[in-house]
Amino acid sequence: MAAKPIASPIPVLMYPTLSVFTLAIGLVITAIFFIYEATSSRKNCSLGKELATATGFGSLFLLLASGVYV
Amino acid sequence: MKQSSVVDLLLLLLAIAVLASPAFSDLVLSKVERRIDVTSQIARVTKTLKVVNSGSESVSEFTLTFPKFLGNNLAYLSVAHSEGKGKSKRNLVNLSVEATNPKGIPDSISVYSVALPKALNKGDTLTLEVVAAFTNVLQPFPEKISQGDIHLVMLQESAQYLSPYAVESQSLSIKLPNARIESYTNLDNTKLQGSEIKYGPYKNLPQYSYSPIVVHFESKAAFAVAEKLVREIEVSHWGNVQVTEHYNIVHRGAQLKGEFSRLDFQGRPPSGVSAFRHLLARLPPRAHSIYYRDDIGNISTSQMQSDSKKTELLIEPRFPLFGGWRTFFTIGYGLPLSDFLFASEGKRFLNISFGSPMIDLVTEKLIVQVVLPEGSKDISVTTPFAVKQSQEIKYSHLDIVGRPVVVLEKNNVVPDHNQHIQVYYKFSNINLLSEPLMLISGFFVLFITCIIYTRSDFSISKSSATYLAKLQWDEVLATLQEVQNIIQKCLALHDKLEASLRDLSRTGDFQTCKAARKSTDSLLKDLSKELKPLMAFLQTSPSASQISPKVEELIAKEKELQEKLMAKHTTVVEGYEKKSSGRDIENRIASQQQKITALRQEIEDLLEFIDEI
Repeated sequence: MAAKPIASPIPVLMYPTLSVFTLAIGLVITAIFFIYEATSSRKNCSLGKELATATGFGSLFLLLASGVYV
Repeated sequence: MKQSSVVDLLLLLLAIAVLASPAFSDLVLSKVERRIDVTSQIARVTKTLKVVNSGSESVSEFTLTFPKFLGNNLAYLSVAHSEGKGKSKRNLVNLSVEATNPKGIPDSISVYSVALPKALNKGDTLTLEVVAAFTNVLQPFPEKISQGDIHLVMLQESAQYLSPYAVESQSLSIKLPNARIESYTNLDNTKLQGSEIKYGPYKNLPQYSYSPIVVHFESKAAFAVAEKLVREIEVSHWGNVQVTEHYNIVHRGAQLKGEFSRLDFQGRPPSGVSAFRHLLARLPPRAHSIYYRDDIGNISTSQMQSDSKKTELLIEPRFPLFGGWRTFFTIGYGLPLSDFLFASEGKRFLNISFGSPMIDLVTEKLIVQVVLPEGSKDISVTTPFAVKQSQEIKYSHLDIVGRPVVVLEKNNVVPDHNQHIQVYYKFSNINLLSEPLMLISGFFVLFITCIIYTRSDFSISKSSATYLAKLQWDEVLATLQEVQNIIQKCLALHDKLEASLRDLSRTGDFQTCKAARKSTDSLLKDLSKELKPLMAFLQTSPSASQISPKVEELIAKEKELQEKLMAKHTTVVEGYEKKSSGRDIENRIASQQQKITALRQEIEDLLEFIDEI
């Protein structure tokens, strides 16, 4: 009955790095989205999903890196 | 108060001696060694008992007794028996102990029954090691002291081991702290060696033999007692176990009477030896983000030293604690997950220490809350001692249904209780994904709202810009529609011309052809007149700025087509008049025909484009 230790799925040491990268990508895509929104007048639903994902993961890693450990 | 319990017991013993006490299974204790350690605020008694079965039946349980005033304060009891013979035996196996109340035992004795691992047969011997920790038995005497006095406490015990079995030989040694010894009871066979008092050995004592002793000495230990300790252990599968401890500490030694003088406290020599300033906590290694604060804010008087086996935290409350004084604070630290969470047989379990990490701290009421991540099921707890369990729900970051909390409560906890407990539960890693999904859906909803907002018109008044723009756009569309209709009519007329040409080639009647051309010409002129105002409107309206060049193009092309068709018609009719051959006519109009078809195609395209708007 060997008990093997459980660790987090992503190495904890990389949390700050990951949060910087994903947040950067998310913010860039958000900026693109808003600019596109202001200048065109067509349906762009799939773009919305894409950038929501990026910003979502970016903010999660930001929270974890700062010690909130949700 | 101090003498009454002793007197009670003496009377009781007389009563027992008078009444015939029941033969308590014929075990005989051949050798009893007792060591009492009172260097800290807890009295720790270690007994080594050699049990011999001198009766005829085999016995499977052993009765352990304490006088009631000790038994009420018993915090921790463990009984082990060493296996193997000779000096190399260090294999202690813990035996299960229960508090019982058998008949025939008087009320002022508390009884514990130990289940022996295998029945003790006639003539066999067994060695038992008993460790018992008592709180509140070191009574401060005098009970109120002033700042400059030393802290004297009193211990009452029995020089002879109180037991329901006969004892052949026994000895007692009390280890006192390295300080002043005020007085101690002097029975026969008493020796004082340094700071240890030895009583015994006493031989051949009957059952329930008891001779009270009192030792009065100075204690330098910190009598720190946590009245209430709430320990919250929060497990997060993203890699962290966060422990938060809320302490309410009181000094339970002799109370301070009179005033506290800071000048004396810090003078040379400093007075106030009964107070304590520091508390030492031993945290697991690799503890990080340690904080020490209370309701006012952060407390900066603390030091931390860490190595690979432990992390030592030395904290100093905001003021020194004298007898009767109390303070409260919070300590928190984070621990890496892989040191404490393990997987075995499909379940996960958390292996973490139960009590407070502070050394030498007695907790009167300990509440441990283990907060497991959302979505944990089948929760069960294994503890090496009895605790009271219950379950709650806690709502924390990114929670939908809340996190399950296992609440364990225990009273009268001593550092001997600081063993590991295990909390078992089931959790699938998919649930970890629900948290980023929640964040993602939050952002998604935000962006969808933005999209909807920019597309919807919330204006109420009729003179707002969007409403006017809408009206104009409608007008433009209507105009476009009319232009389209006219162009279609023109095209229909073109088709009529073509038809008349075909009639001509069939019948040769060019007069009717000419007449058809004339009528078509006049109709086309009318239509172009109608087009003019529409075109003017489109050019002036601002919202049609993108479309009007296209419409202009369309009209221009149509005109061109008209002219070409007319030219072709004229040529064909002339050819027929002059009676030239069909081939000549074909050649002449070949190039024109090409242009006509090309123009027609372009017009169709433009019409389609306008249709789509």
